[in-house]
Parts: sequence; C-alpha cells; structure tokens
Amino acid sequence: MSNPQDTVAGSQAVGGTETDDWRTRLVEFSKSDFVRSFPFWFVPFSIMGLGVYGGIGYNTLISLTDYEGFNEGPDYTNLDLGMYVQAVNDPWVWTTSKNTFVLLIVFTTITMLLGLFLAIMLDRGIRYREKIQTIYLLPMALSFVVTAQFWLWMYNVNNGLVNTVVGLFGLGPYNWIGDPQLVLGSVIFALIWQFSGYAMVVFLAGLQSIPDDQFEAAKVDGASVFKTYWRVIIPQLKSSSVSAAVVLMIFALKAFTFLFSMFGQYRVPKGTDILATLMVREAFKLQNWAYAAAIATILLLMALAVIAPYLHYQHKQGSL
Amino acid sequence: MARVKLTDVTKEYGDVTAVNNMNLDLKDGEFITLVGPSGCGKSTTLETVAGLTKPTSGTIEIGDREVTNLPPKDRGIAMVFQNIALFPHMDVYDNISFGLRLRDFPQEEMDERVDEAARVVQLQGMLDRMPSEMSGGQRQRVAIARAIVREPEVFLMDEPLANLDAKLRVNMRTELQRLHKQLDTTIIYVTHNQAEAMTMSDRISVLNKGELQQIAPPLVCYNEPANRFVAGFIGSPSMNFARATINDGQLDTDDYSVDFDATVVEELEDGDDVEMGVRPEDLYLADNREEAHDPSQPLGVETDVLEPMGDQIFVYLKPVGESGSGMGDVEERQGLLMSVDPDTDIVEEQSIEVVIDRARIHLFDMQTGDALSHGVVREAATAEADDGEAEAGDDGAQVS
Repeated sequence: MSNPQDTVAGSQAVGGTETDDWRTRLVEFSKSDFVRSFPFWFVPFSIMGLGVYGGIGYNTLISLTDYEGFNEGPDYTNLDLGMYVQAVNDPWVWTTSKNTFVLLIVFTTITMLLGLFLAIMLDRGIRYREKIQTIYLLPMALSFVVTAQFWLWMYNVNNGLVNTVVGLFGLGPYNWIGDPQLVLGSVIFALIWQFSGYAMVVFLAGLQSIPDDQFEAAKVDGASVFKTYWRVIIPQLKSSSVSAAVVLMIFALKAFTFLFSMFGQYRVPKGTDILATLMVREAFKLQNWAYAAAIATILLLMALAVIAPYLHYQHKQGSL
Repeated sequence: MARVKLTDVTKEYGDVTAVNNMNLDLKDGEFITLVGPSGCGKSTTLETVAGLTKPTSGTIEIGDREVTNLPPKDRGIAMVFQNIALFPHMDVYDNISFGLRLRDFPQEEMDERVDEAARVVQLQGMLDRMPSEMSGGQRQRVAIARAIVREPEVFLMDEPLANLDAKLRVNMRTELQRLHKQLDTTIIYVTHNQAEAMTMSDRISVLNKGELQQIAPPLVCYNEPANRFVAGFIGSPSMNFARATINDGQLDTDDYSVDFDATVVEELEDGDDVEMGVRPEDLYLADNREEAHDPSQPLGVETDVLEPMGDQIFVYLKPVGESGSGMGDVEERQGLLMSVDPDTDIVEEQSIEVVIDRARIHLFDMQTGDALSHGVVREAATAEADDGEAEAGDDGAQVS
C-alpha cells in the first residue's frame, strides 16, 4: 500500500521543491519505529516517569523550601539549601547515618559470606539439595511484619528463646533490644537470618553455571579444594556477587519496614535508628516536610552511590 | 614419558558398569586413541587414569609406580578437556602457569617454561590476552600449552577437538600429531570420531559398552577387525553386512551367493549361519574385476542412488527382481553400498554386474560377533577364529 506512495513522494523529492521534501520527511517520520511504537511505550513510560522521577523531582523541590505543618502549602518563592545545612549540623542525622552505614556494611558482608558458604556446601552435593534450598529460602517468603514480631519475642529479655539458649552456656540474660550496645547487632542478626537464603540462591545459580571441567582442570593442575574455590571458582562468581550485593545493600538502606514492624512506633531505639526511620519520623510524626525531604534526598544519594559501581560494571560488560 | 598400564580396571556407578575389566598396556611415547560411541566408557577410562574417578576395582600404573589411589597432581599427568576449560578470569599467562604457581615455582623458571610452551603451540605475544578475546583454535592451543608446561609423563586428551569447526579440527589434528612427534610423550586420546582415531594414533583401542573390543594399529583395526562391532565402527561409510548361510562351498545371502573355501573356517558346517561383511571399496564393477585380488562370480544388480563425493562415487545397489544370481525376496534384502572411481560411467536405475573381492570378505559369528575369517579363500585368509576380542590387543603391544 504505502510503497507506491513512497516511490511517488521520493521521485517528487528528486524533482526538488521544498514542499515535497517536507512531505517526504513527514511520511518517513510517521512510519518510523518511534511513532509506530509510541502507544506501547508511552503509557508505562509516563506512569513510571511521573511516579518515580516526578516524585524524586517534587521531593527535591520540597526539600528546598521551609515547608512544615498542615496549615499552608509550601512556599516556592524562597528556595535555598537551608534544610541541608540544618541536616549537616544535626547530630542525630550523623548518628543515624553511622547506624545506616554499619547496618549496610555488616549486614551485606555477613549475609553474602554466609550465603556463599551455604551455596558452596549445597553445590558440593549434599543430598536432598532441593529441600535444603527451600528451607533456607523460606524466610524470604515471610512478611517482615511476621519476622520482626517473632524475633522481638525471641529477643525478649525474660522468657525469649535466645536468652534461654545462651543461658544453657551460662551466659546472660542479655537485654537484646533494650541495650543500646546490642540492639543494632540483634536487628542485623535477624535480617541476616531472613536474607542469607536469598544470597545463597543467587550464588548457587552462579555456581551451577560453572562447568564441572573447571573443577577438574584445577584438580589436575594440583589445586586443593580450598585453592580451587579461592582462585578459580569464587572469582567467576563476580556477577552473582554484584547482583546479590546491590539487592542487599538497597534493602539495608530502606530497612524502615523491618524496624517499624519490630518496634511498632516511629521512634525506634537510638542504637538502631537509621536515616530511613528518621526521615519517616520527621515527616509523619513531626510534619517537618521540608526537612524530611532533605533527608530523603541524602538517602537517595547514598543509594545511588551504592548502585553506581554496579551500573559501571554493567556498562563495562556491555549490557547497559 | 612413561608407559601406562591398566589391569582389570572396572568402574561401576550403582547398577551400571561403565568400564568392565579393562586391560591396556601403553608403550612409552605411544599415541593411543580410545574410540567408541557415546557411553562406551572411554571418558570414564580416561578419568580413572587422570585420577578424577576412582576405579571400583583394578590397578593403574604410570611409569613404574602404581597410582590407583594417588590424586591427579601426583600422577605426572596433564589433561586437555573437551570444553577446553580455560579459567575465564585469568589471562593466557596465568592460565598456562596456574599449575606451576600452585607448586611455588620461582618466577624466573616459570616465565621460561611458559615462554617455551607458548612457543611450541605458537602463542607468542598473546600471553596477556584473556580467553574471551581469542578464537576457538587459539583457546585450544592455550589448553594444550597449559598441559605441556607441566612437562607431564602422560597427556590425557578428552575429545579436545570436538568443539572446533570442521576445518580447524583437521588443522589441529595435524598439529597434535606434530606436537606428539616433538614432545615424544605418551598420549591417551579419547574421541568418538573414528576418522581422528584412524589418522592420529599409533594404536586404536575400540570400546563398546564398557568393554575393550580391539586394540591394534589403525590399519589392523580396519583390515582385520576383531569383531562385527569394530568392523562396523571403523571405516566411513560403514561396512556392508548380510546374513549368509553356508551351503556346499557357497555363502548364500538372500540376494546373492559367493563361492568360498570352506577350509578357512573349519568349525563351520553346511547350514550354519554367519554374518558376512564387505567394505564398499571391495566391491568392483564386473568390467574392472582384475582390480580385485580374488573376484567372485558376477552379481547382477541395479543402481539405486548415487552420491558423488568428488574423489569417488558411492553407489547404492539393489537387486534386480527375479533375475541373475539368486536374488531373493525384495522386502528382506540388505542394501549394498559400493564405491567407484569418480569418472565411472554410471547412472541411477542402471542394471550392472559387480564382483566382490573374496580376499576382503569378513565373516563373523552370528551369536558372539567375533571375527571368524578375513577373506574367504585360503591364501588370503589372515585371521583365525580364536584371534578375537582381547587377544587382538596384543598385536602391537608385544613389541615393548
């Protein structure tokens, strides 16, 4: 159908008048992939653009105002970085940043190491592999609300399971939740319990994609089991490690859900107060909208800093 | 360099016997091929020599040492794998030197040996490349360099050319032979490709269902197969087989009869059935009968399909109805494949007469498949009935 028109338009263009040239281009444009695919990508693109990037933009805008309370809308006439200055000078922001950072590093590192260890054990052919895999992955399937609540019970100072167990060794009882020195560790432990199964599954998939002859080649070359893993196998798990790490770190940054479920209130114990809980508290308890928005932006920048190496890695691999 | 000896090696996986009572005796510096169809136990045999699999019973000796229970690194072997198995995160130098680094070689000696190995496989100047940046053939060379750098006594190669394209495979075949000449090391080479086995090895050992069928130099396997399996496996296209009945100095098949000298296989009597095998090149047009050592009487046949290969033409033959030399029931007939010179004047659906070289007819026992005779006339008969199976394995080994 359109082909004869094309030819006509084309030959007219060769004729050389400017109107024809303009028409040819319009016809070409209307048939381009961009226009023809428009209905398909525009709707999801605009929803996501508005919801995510629009939200980020609006949040950043709010953080530049002094908006607080419910009485009047934000005043956009006087934009400045006042809230960020206030945040930098707020010792509470520093404390929560420190906690966030500790949670991020300790939780991610231990979960990955534990997951890798479990994956290697499973990959070495423990029987009933599938059942064991399910057992470890099961905590992932539980809601944070559930795990937070039952870890809270297990950590109970008087009759919690954890104190009963350490009591068998003549230790404790410890106030796992009440002691500011211990609470962050307790929370991290509970999170590791929930996420090590995920790390294991990611590593197991990576391990199983490595062909047997890699192990055999290393063995023939004289590598011990430890050296085979350390020098041959684990270096090949780079992409598994990166994807596991990114997911875990991003979760660590937004661990608000878990903490809020555990303590049932905006104000969590000081030892485990992280940027995410501080942000929600400033916003929804104290109505300091602009200040909370500034903290949100700081959190976003931290998350981007975490993802940046991943994006760089993906880009280097040519998959971005 | 070392001799390798397998004595009664058996490997069982649960109920499955992968290797059954394998006896091999390899001379120092010999290039030996283990060949057979998938699942015949050739890779398992190699793995027991490598130490990657422990045999259920039997012993393995390399040089003068028994190595049955030693780990691979203490056996003086190096292995080249089917999937090449280079470490993808290491560059060529690190891949080649991996085994040396594990043994804490001094840097200087390591450099020297890596350079030497790279020179042998012509990889100079590529030591800092990553495997992913190399072609299939180059990667295969790295894998070989990784094996020779350790100066092993025995090379084990598990279908190293299987993943290369056809042209490269032929090139690498020649290079491996050159390498063997240069290094003068014992090589055990596993393949399912009978052409590789024929062209490269000093001796071929043919395996089927975990059992050694024959171990002999390539041409012996070809000309005097120990049994029907070897006869059918070695040679491409495959040997023609037909069931024949002995009838008063004649081998009667459903389609044709051939005179034979009953004294070449004394234990056979009139009325006994045998499996008769003829290679396509041992069939001749009746006009060219003088090319055969001992032509049979002419058989009338009709050409079916022609397959011109360039250097020869494969001709599928079918019987011509009722006519000629006792052609039987058309439904029951066995097709017959003949190869002729490419300039032969021949077309499809043409009636022709062919002769069989009686000196090259193989007879096999119907039940056991063992070879009864190679050639069905007295002067050409080369093997006797009891020369089958494992006995044939000593054909070349006795020299050592």
